[in-house]
Amino acid sequence: MAFACIYIPDFMVQSLMRSEPALRDGPLAVIEGAPPLWNVVAANPVALRAGLKLGMTKAQAEEFGIPVRHRSESQEKATHAALLDAGWGASPRVEETREDTIVLDIAGLDSLFGSRNDIARELARRASHLGLIPQVAAASSIEAAIHAARGFAGITVIPDGEERKALSGLPIHVLSAGVETIEVLERWGVETLGGLANLPVLPLSERLGAEGVRLHQIASGSCTRSIVLASPSLHFEEEMELEDAVEELDPLSFLLGRLLDQLCARLAGRALALRALHLQFDLEPHFEREFRSLADDVRPREATVYGKVLTLPVPVRDAKLLLQLLRLQLQSDPPLASIRKISLSAEASAPRVTQNGLFAPQAPDPEKLELTLARLAKLVGQANAGSPEPLDTHRPGAFRMNRFAPSQVRPEKSAQNASGKIGTAKPMQGFRAIRPPVPITVDIRDEEPVRVYLRGKCGTVTAASGPWKTSGDWWQDSWQHSEWDVALDFGTRTALRGSEPRPDQGVYRIYNDGRQGRWFVRGTHD
Amino acid sequence: MAACAEHGMASMALLDRDGVYGAPRFYQAAKKAGQQAHIGAELTSIHGWRYALLVATRQGYQNLCRMITRTKLRAAKGEGRITTADFEGMAAGLICLTGGEEGPLADALRIGGMPRGQACVRKLCALFGRENVYIELQRHFCREEEARNQAAIEIAREFNLPLVATNGTCYAFPHQREMQDVFTSLRHHRTLDTAGRLLALNSERHLKSPAEMARLFADCPEAIANTQALPSRLQFTLKDLGYEFPRYPVPEGSSEMQFLRERTFEGMIARYGADDPAARRQIERELALIEKLKLPGYFLIVWDIIRFCREHNILVQGRGSAANSAVCYALGITAVDPVKMKLLFERFLSEERGEWPDIDLDLPSGDQRERAIQYVYERYGQLGAAMTANVITYRGRSAAREIGKALAFDPETLDRLAKLVGNWEYRDANDTLERQFKNAGFDLRHPKIRKFLELCLQVQDLPRHLGQHSGGMVVCQGQLDSVVPLEPATMPNRVVVQWDKEDCADMGIVKIDLLGLGMMAVLEDSLKLIRNQYRQPIDLHSLPQDDPQIYQALQKADTVGMFQIESRAQMSCLPRLKPACFYDIVVQVAIIRPGPIVGKMVHPYLNRRQGREPAECLHPSLEAILSRTLGVPLFQEQLLSMAMIAAGFTGGEAEELRRAMGFKRSEQRMKEVEIKLRRGMEKKGIRGAAQDAIVQSITSFALYGFPESHAASFALIAYASAYLKCHYLAAFTAAMLNNYPLGFYSPATLVKDAQRHGLRVRPIDVTCSDWVCTLEDPPRPEAGGFCLRLGMRYVKGLREEIARQIVQERSLRAFRSINELKIRVPGVQKSELAALAEIGALNRLGDNPNFHRRDALWQIDRASRRAGPLLDEQEESQGAIATPEGDASFALKPMSTEARLVADFRHMGMTAGPHPLAYHRRELQKKGILSASDLQGVADGARVRVAGAVIARQRPGTAKGFVFLSLEDETGISNAIIAPRLFEESHLTIVHEGFLLIEGRLQNQENTLSVKAERVWPLAVTKAAPASHDFH
Repeated sequence: MAFACIYIPDFMVQSLMRSEPALRDGPLAVIEGAPPLWNVVAANPVALRAGLKLGMTKAQAEEFGIPVRHRSESQEKATHAALLDAGWGASPRVEETREDTIVLDIAGLDSLFGSRNDIARELARRASHLGLIPQVAAASSIEAAIHAARGFAGITVIPDGEERKALSGLPIHVLSAGVETIEVLERWGVETLGGLANLPVLPLSERLGAEGVRLHQIASGSCTRSIVLASPSLHFEEEMELEDAVEELDPLSFLLGRLLDQLCARLAGRALALRALHLQFDLEPHFEREFRSLADDVRPREATVYGKVLTLPVPVRDAKLLLQLLRLQLQSDPPLASIRKISLSAEASAPRVTQNGLFAPQAPDPEKLELTLARLAKLVGQANAGSPEPLDTHRPGAFRMNRFAPSQVRPEKSAQNASGKIGTAKPMQGFRAIRPPVPITVDIRDEEPVRVYLRGKCGTVTAASGPWKTSGDWWQDSWQHSEWDVALDFGTRTALRGSEPRPDQGVYRIYNDGRQGRWFVRGTHD
Repeated sequence: MAACAEHGMASMALLDRDGVYGAPRFYQAAKKAGQQAHIGAELTSIHGWRYALLVATRQGYQNLCRMITRTKLRAAKGEGRITTADFEGMAAGLICLTGGEEGPLADALRIGGMPRGQACVRKLCALFGRENVYIELQRHFCREEEARNQAAIEIAREFNLPLVATNGTCYAFPHQREMQDVFTSLRHHRTLDTAGRLLALNSERHLKSPAEMARLFADCPEAIANTQALPSRLQFTLKDLGYEFPRYPVPEGSSEMQFLRERTFEGMIARYGADDPAARRQIERELALIEKLKLPGYFLIVWDIIRFCREHNILVQGRGSAANSAVCYALGITAVDPVKMKLLFERFLSEERGEWPDIDLDLPSGDQRERAIQYVYERYGQLGAAMTANVITYRGRSAAREIGKALAFDPETLDRLAKLVGNWEYRDANDTLERQFKNAGFDLRHPKIRKFLELCLQVQDLPRHLGQHSGGMVVCQGQLDSVVPLEPATMPNRVVVQWDKEDCADMGIVKIDLLGLGMMAVLEDSLKLIRNQYRQPIDLHSLPQDDPQIYQALQKADTVGMFQIESRAQMSCLPRLKPACFYDIVVQVAIIRPGPIVGKMVHPYLNRRQGREPAECLHPSLEAILSRTLGVPLFQEQLLSMAMIAAGFTGGEAEELRRAMGFKRSEQRMKEVEIKLRRGMEKKGIRGAAQDAIVQSITSFALYGFPESHAASFALIAYASAYLKCHYLAAFTAAMLNNYPLGFYSPATLVKDAQRHGLRVRPIDVTCSDWVCTLEDPPRPEAGGFCLRLGMRYVKGLREEIARQIVQERSLRAFRSINELKIRVPGVQKSELAALAEIGALNRLGDNPNFHRRDALWQIDRASRRAGPLLDEQEESQGAIATPEGDASFALKPMSTEARLVADFRHMGMTAGPHPLAYHRRELQKKGILSASDLQGVADGARVRVAGAVIARQRPGTAKGFVFLSLEDETGISNAIIAPRLFEESHLTIVHEGFLLIEGRLQNQENTLSVKAERVWPLAVTKAAPASHDFH
């Protein structure tokens, strides 16, 4: 039995350095948090030596003149994936121990790479190729390899039977144990794995339970466990770097179709379907769209990246349908620059296997519905299609657009209909909202509107009620409306040639937007 | 009210919700502005809507107060609701409006339209009488409201009831709506983003002028006319409160005055002897005035409380202006002899002032004070006595925290923002808000941060909630609940009035302050210990007057733990003032106050005392007043007398001056007083520099100075604490530690100081420590003196009931092992045992003499894991006799000194062992670092290096940005002064490091030593973290 462990110290920092190699030799601090407060969550030893401390704010860290970067979980994921790839490149049996740690079963690899030492060196080389500075250890047990990798810099090879001796000098912080357990050990004065190995096992188990025994075995180098093989993930990704940047939709559709075919084929091979599709384009930099948030609330993002997420109501594996949906998305919100790299990643899940109940109401086919919705969204804009939900605010007409979901409940008959007394109740007064509100010009006399100019017509106010004042959101995007309900007389109109002229009148709701100083029509009363 | 006056409105009514909380301030403000203040309240019904009631007559006011009290006292705090039945027989004198959107009519119309609205008005007419019901109209430019108004007008016509136009005003100016929205979201525990339609519809609830209102209701002129006519029906004002102080029950045939006279002369003989003409003269004079002002009852009631305390061995002492009265001294209320000290009686009681005298009683904080308070409740009944309230206003951090919450900052941001505010008393020109925010990692250009700051500034000093005053009680002849509504307090068996202490005073309600003073509890506990352990009963009233040991200690500034004279500022003054008699202590207590400091009176006084400058008066006419303080005014009384003599102030004007001095917020009042002073002095021919100096002296006291009588009362306590510390160190230290928190220093510093004075302090030990610190016999009789055993109250995280169970179990039978302790005190948690083990408190439960802290920790981890129900019984029977296992073959390493120190400070905040720096003295010496005691022999101006644990960081508002640090080492305390620039440079080190190394020049000013820092470094000697008293 032989195992090797690759451990990447300061993983957050190294993940960022991997994408910015220029940072490799200097200090670097990684910050994370909710705006406006960002704290240092990681730093490399050079930065720590300069006096930086974890927990400092961004402003404090910047006072040290140390480069500061936001934590990038995607970079970390990518680094981890790359690490796994490096592992799989050397051995088919890889354990994904932690984000910064992987373990390889290296039994039998000697014929390929040579001695344990050579294998460890080869692994270190491969990790270094990824732009990382790894710590690699090889030993006959998994835990010995992991802890040696965590505890010793560079490459460590522990000869068989010498695990306890080799690990004895390591501080107990390298143990993968809970904070409380480490605290208990510290309270006992146990500072190294050697100290822990010296404790009697039985009393230790009485105090720390099975966890104590496990840690004792690790410290004694006698911990044997099986490798937990990393299972291939449910995350499927396909990428394509383009020699010549693409600008037109048609050639892009062709490429997208190819990638989607590949993705769907892979999903089919695993009997899975696609639940969400992430599309990402890397754009030509000279078309960079300037992105600056006034509030600085949002972290400046890479403006050279265009991304879309296609969330599907049911898992599908139909490449044609997916392509159609993508095309509609791209038509309604096209990228502003030519594309030089395409990434498609799929979130997979089991395909839909249920069928509708015999007595369940007929609902549109989900795939077709999704397509229809996408077409609608293309026509009216993404933000204008879906199920509206009124917001809890005084702001007139405020609503949020949710994803359209057809109601599963059959609408009940109204009480009036049920009683059969149709028309006995007083009819509700209707109000027709005009969205977006139409700008108008209003003449005012004695603080009241007297004339309204709407779509080229001039209406005289024959009756007015108001003003009805509303205002709010003063702490952010403030608004202030002053509404009037006005009866307007536009004179007469002739609907059809030869017909009698009829009075052109109506009751309108108009308002003055105090922030813009302009008038609008909000709607009409029936 | 100012905005109201600007609009030319003659009167206004305040309707607080379920109370008359703001009535006194509203009344006072109206009085000042020459307006009429009408009182009312909105009472919440059990259905949720509110009756809007206005008080027409005194009976109406009394009814309103009683109804509010009734609803408040029968429900949990803040949950009282009124029912229709409550109005039975109580509606007289009240006028009912139908209310705005939260009123009964709006609610009825909402639920059942016109029929229900009509029924509602019919019911109101039945409750209050047709002539007392008004239909209320409000217009805030809201459609629903207008629909309601039209219905209300229809109902008014139908019932022939008058309409009134109101505005439901919530704030003076439109922009203040933002604050209203913030309060709304806080009240509903929401953020502004999630409060939705709970927030205001618009900003129309501001004060509107009569013309605006007339324009708004142009279609309904009768509503405006009725509104204007309504005040004529509201006859009641708070001037007509009807408060009466209770009469003291005296034996038949005697009168209150006669009874008081007898008690006073009895006391006089005890205090002065039978033959002291000066005292008799003074007492006669005072009694005559007391009789004239009809105040004997008040003195008797206070005397009665004193008598109760004495009878129940509760230490009590009057303070404040009462110490100016010989009658109070004779009655045993105060302990300062005003005749001997020539104190000004008028400061306490004057005919002109027309207000009740103010007697404050200091009682030991805690249970003893509660006993005295409960006695007053018992004596005057639950509806005859109550605590005064305390209007808690939004200040610095509380404001920041709440505003941040409303703006939905995450907890960490909130924490940082709150810490930013009010961190420093002093701000220099570079110390701008922008900079402070930047230092904390925020950018003021961020819109949310900017709004946060704006709102924080707006909310300052606005009332937040009503607390209970720490000791103010009001009593009343008859029913207090007809004077002001009473509410249940959070503490059981207490009721509290709806008005602040100051408001009660303004309304002429007499109050007695029963204040809890930590040092009184220390004195009381010390006396108990001395009585029980030393077997030496001592009486605080008969302490030796001029004990040389005390004055020696004071002159050396060896005053850690002594009342009022222990702070860093006091210590730096003591060696220069060199107190040599009791009056010097009175001066010492009064001189280190913002008033004398800002008034630049400290240095002239000290210079004159040392003969370096002549003791000249500001003006010859002030000679008599200022001679005893060497021509420098130090006390409030002196300033009042100065105003009377130099500017011809009457007693009443002097009193106005005193009140202006009492409030920080009354800058305007002080300006008015200054004009008066100057005018008065011009008349008396005092001009130029002398006039300026007198004005400067008087106005600077606006920043607070002590009255002489108050300083004298405090000086007595200071003297007593000094006496106990010098002669009964063990008892005094134990009492100090048992009454912590109090004073300036942390328990760690108190312990180290006591140890330097020779006290043996023993660590916490479960085999002999109590919950509190106790005294133990010395190891050998010849070793002399008691030892102090630290109590388990100092083990952080150990619950009191567990500690007391340990003590109780131990008294039955000693513990023989940790396992046995765990079995006999089953409630003890593992974390508690771990804390005890880590500080060595379980060491004596070991099975061998070398048993150490880590052995104990090893055992508790086993003891805390029960074997399970099957083996519990067996374990229990074995546990009493054996340790859980016999794995003697292996041994844990004992803790290092450093580990022990870290554990001690982590779990106790102190160590009974040597000071952390004692372990490093040799290396420190090698680096040329001097100890605190070494500094004594160093010449002024020499370059020195000192190091120590930072025990205090101060940046007083009066010190122009300088920071004062107190560093403690094993030999004592050294002081360092940090200039603003160095502070700016080394901000993080100075504020965050626990141990500092400071290099600079020694300043030796008449034995006051301090190092003027030039460089500061962190000192990495230990990870133990002593507590520091910072920026308070």
